[in-house]
Amino acid sequence: MWQNTMKINQNSSPPTPLHKGNVQNQLNQPNKKSKRKKKYTVHGLSGFPNLLMNILLGSFALMCIFPFLYVIIISLTDEKTLARNGYQILPEIWSFEAYRYLWQMKDQLLQSYTITIVVTVLGTVFSVAMIALFAYAISRKQFKYRGFFTFIAFFTMLFSGGLIPFYIVATQFLHLRNSIWALILPLAMNAFYILIMRTFFQRSVPESILESARIDGASELRIFAKIVVPLSLPGLATIALFSTLGYWNDWFNALLFIDEPNLVPLQSMLMKIENNIEFLRQNSLAGGAQNDLLSAIPQDAAKMAMVVISTLPIAIAYPFFQKYFVSGLTIGGVKE
Amino acid sequence: MNRIKSFFQDVYKNRVWLLMVLPGTIWLLLFAYLPMFGTVIAFKNFHYDPNGFFASIQNSEWVGFENFAFLFNTNDAWIITRNTILYNLVFIVLGLILAVFVAIVLSELANKKLSKIYQTGMLFPHFLSWIVVSYFVFTFLSVDRGLLNNILGWFGVDDPISWYNEAKYWPFIIVLTSMWKGIGYGSIVYLAAIVGIDKNYYEAAMIDGANKWQQIRNITIPMITPLIVILTILNVGRIFSADFGLFYQVPRDSGTLYSVTNVIDTYVYRGLTTMGDISMSTAAGLYQSLVGFALVMLTNYLAQKVDKEYALF
Amino acid sequence: MIVLLFSLTTLLAACGGGKSANTSGSGKADKNKPYEIMWYTIGTPQKDVDKVMEEVNKYTKEKINATVKLKQIDWGDYDQKMQLMISSGESFDIAYTGGGNYVLNAQKGAFKDLNELLDTHGKELKATLDPAFIEGAKIDGKLYGIPSNKEVGQQSVYVFNKNLVDKYKMDISSISSLEDLEPLLKTVKENEPDFTPLATFKPYLPFDYILEDELPFAIPLEGNKNKVVNIFESDIMMETLKTMHKFYKAGYIKADAATSTDPWPLEVQNWFLRKEMYQPYAELIWSRSAGYDVAVQPMHDPITFNNSVTGAIQAISATSKNPEKAMEFLNLLNTDPYLRNLIDRGIEGVHYEEDANGKINDLPARVESYNMPTYSLGNHFILKLYENDPEDKWEAFKKFNDASVEAPTLGFYFDTNPVRTEIAAISNVASEFAPALLTGSVDPEVYLPKANKKFKDAGLDKVLKEIQKQYDEWKKNN
Repeated sequence: MWQNTMKINQNSSPPTPLHKGNVQNQLNQPNKKSKRKKKYTVHGLSGFPNLLMNILLGSFALMCIFPFLYVIIISLTDEKTLARNGYQILPEIWSFEAYRYLWQMKDQLLQSYTITIVVTVLGTVFSVAMIALFAYAISRKQFKYRGFFTFIAFFTMLFSGGLIPFYIVATQFLHLRNSIWALILPLAMNAFYILIMRTFFQRSVPESILESARIDGASELRIFAKIVVPLSLPGLATIALFSTLGYWNDWFNALLFIDEPNLVPLQSMLMKIENNIEFLRQNSLAGGAQNDLLSAIPQDAAKMAMVVISTLPIAIAYPFFQKYFVSGLTIGGVKE
Repeated sequence: MNRIKSFFQDVYKNRVWLLMVLPGTIWLLLFAYLPMFGTVIAFKNFHYDPNGFFASIQNSEWVGFENFAFLFNTNDAWIITRNTILYNLVFIVLGLILAVFVAIVLSELANKKLSKIYQTGMLFPHFLSWIVVSYFVFTFLSVDRGLLNNILGWFGVDDPISWYNEAKYWPFIIVLTSMWKGIGYGSIVYLAAIVGIDKNYYEAAMIDGANKWQQIRNITIPMITPLIVILTILNVGRIFSADFGLFYQVPRDSGTLYSVTNVIDTYVYRGLTTMGDISMSTAAGLYQSLVGFALVMLTNYLAQKVDKEYALF
Repeated sequence: MIVLLFSLTTLLAACGGGKSANTSGSGKADKNKPYEIMWYTIGTPQKDVDKVMEEVNKYTKEKINATVKLKQIDWGDYDQKMQLMISSGESFDIAYTGGGNYVLNAQKGAFKDLNELLDTHGKELKATLDPAFIEGAKIDGKLYGIPSNKEVGQQSVYVFNKNLVDKYKMDISSISSLEDLEPLLKTVKENEPDFTPLATFKPYLPFDYILEDELPFAIPLEGNKNKVVNIFESDIMMETLKTMHKFYKAGYIKADAATSTDPWPLEVQNWFLRKEMYQPYAELIWSRSAGYDVAVQPMHDPITFNNSVTGAIQAISATSKNPEKAMEFLNLLNTDPYLRNLIDRGIEGVHYEEDANGKINDLPARVESYNMPTYSLGNHFILKLYENDPEDKWEAFKKFNDASVEAPTLGFYFDTNPVRTEIAAISNVASEFAPALLTGSVDPEVYLPKANKKFKDAGLDKVLKEIQKQYDEWKKNN
């Protein structure tokens, strides 16, 4: 149940394309520029309100980025300086010590990076394909059982069997333990995304195009691949971004199913450190026993460096996704 | 006989569609439906059996609703329910207002390039996990190292504030953190809807001499209302579940803050890690999803009453 | 429904058994094929485990016709993962467990009752174990696991940074209470700005805890030993916490003590005084890993608690396919010096080297890729000594064990079942108040009454009554 909340939270409030509209215009637009211009004339503040709003939003945007920059600075601060001066914006003594510490673990880190990237890429492809196929089928009126299949997807949003039965299915039926699929399959589907994509297909893939293709004798699968997918790229990209995010930040499935150190993804390394600290806080071990454990816990700057390297790739990657992201959310509603 | 035959004919006719839903359906069966039998644990006092899990379920004693009791029978139980609902209400209302506000401003900014840059910046927190956020918050609030106490020091406040021990600040910190993480994303969802509004409406309004404020009030807001309603209904469904990371990791599990940070999820976690009682945690999960379900149905019904178009299903 | 369940069960068994089912099935039928023992233990997974296990298997195949698969699970993940494995009824043979988890899982039927097995397949083991371990770890007369044969009692000690002790010529041998520390802490606070006088700790309190340390039920070690009390209502608690709070206000304790996760690594010289659990010659281990000297002053005589005898246990799972073999292995592990040293220290010449006197030294490979926690792996008394270990290390352990006093509830394990609702609520109250109170972060005169009121609301009295009832019953029979 804890796991469920976590899952949901990673993906909280996905978008719902709403407005009915004609997609074609938007999609087949080689002359984007002229359209943009038209928008500019309708919306647009001027003078003082514009300045005020720029300051307001600008500072909010800065606030959103600042903590990350701050953590980068801390990770580059000398450990002794941290102890004496605290976390400063301009540290007295800079140091790469934290990254040198991480460099010692480079084999493990590289391995974890690889795992995370493989899982994220494979998982995203996998889940987008499954969700798109399912959602497309239940969005078509020709499919007699669409009501039934919509319901079985919807119903899973409301009830879950809980952690233990889920664990049993994954380990004892599917033998996913210590397999990379244990990190991929559990996050592959999500009823929420299915319903979103269904709405998307219903409202933005007009039946008329499909009809003409059918008259030409194309099979449904062919239609899906050749017409529906290109037509729905922004929507698919949006779902893909959610999936990517879910896979990138997932540590819980690794906690459940992975014992092999060379299959541990990046986020769960961060989580392991947290868990080890928690363990140390709650257990007092006699004699030298805690020394083994202590050595596994990095100091402040190194911890921050871990945060940095586990966040950096997604921080660099998402601005590239972003344009699809916004248009994916918009597409259903464009009416021009 | 005939019926069976026509059923198979139907299946055959729909075979392409069935093929499409097949992978997803298998997944749903395996990962969603098969585990559901486990819900029965919520009504049992789970005891291990050497012959495996099913024997354990079968041989465990039936205790009815006893496992649900710890969610109701103390003062704390009332506090956690109150906290969960109040925070979620604030998140829903404030999140809605701020996201819509930011979305409208973003759409109205004169310089679209800046607008894009702001969007990129605001979206950033959405991609962070709560552990990472909790580190971020700590860099600000740490009593001896944090930025806030450093800044207060410059202003001559010598007594550092022990942020993680002062419950009075935390409702704000929690709400602020949640908004910080969620607004950028929320506003972009609404921005997408606003960008999609037919420009002719605005042109017509301008010809009629409507000012910016009137345009926003009479065109933008009514046009995005259906989206607002749907997202709100979905959020209401989760009003009984809280972000575990936000309420556990961000306040660093500080006991002195429980009066304002303890929510159903953290309460269940803390109460049951000591005992590893899976019956009670299953019961709590069932309770949360049942109430959530009822609330979604109710809000959906109310929304439908107002306007058919608003309904989620 | 039941039929359905049954068929599912068989299906599961068929599916779930998988590889291990095969090996075990033939292991029993075909005497020649060695049985593979699945063994889970705690600790950060080490690279060379499989390499060492190869050596182990050569030996065990010959000795008991079995092989061992050792799986380490990281410190912080261990409890949760074991809980899942046990709940899901997964088949394995041996698992490390300890303290509260041992008791709860044993009471819920996760582990095999070893009373008989120990007599039939573990005679030598039984002879080497301190009887206090066997008696103390029995739950309702049944032993559910083999405790590591090591220090039987628990002794909290103050650990001082010797550099500072020498610098200010402090006399630490006269320290007997928290109050006595005040002048020393003051000196450090005033003269050593780079040091925190007290590394974060929770003070020692003379109680014999029924469940975990922070849950409020305990039998006082001083005074009436027949009555279960709420520790937060005792005078000694109030007094101790007042002192702690005084230290806190004086700045001897870090301001974020209640939520701090700073583990205070020994090698960083930024502390003056800390609290640790002692075992004979622990100060040598600490000094070695610190890189400078530390000095030790005990807070009390060693006491044998439930917690200390169940601190590190190897339990045999109820789902084990071949518990006899598992027992034979535990017997060998705890009595055979070659095997025990192999598993603990690694392979000679690879992970350590031995000198002419039989003393050993770690090679870099041990530190890097076979750094195993000793306490969780079994009998200490047959381990080889390090070059810088004192000659009489294990004799000192024996002396320590003989001197250890039995706690009143040694061998009494409370069955939480009748009051689990209340305990869930009380756990919440405890984690709300205990960390802040015990680290001195809040004023006990304000917060203790608050805590006690909440404990009462959460059903404390009912739990105390139930404990008293079970305790009286147990006393009658023991």
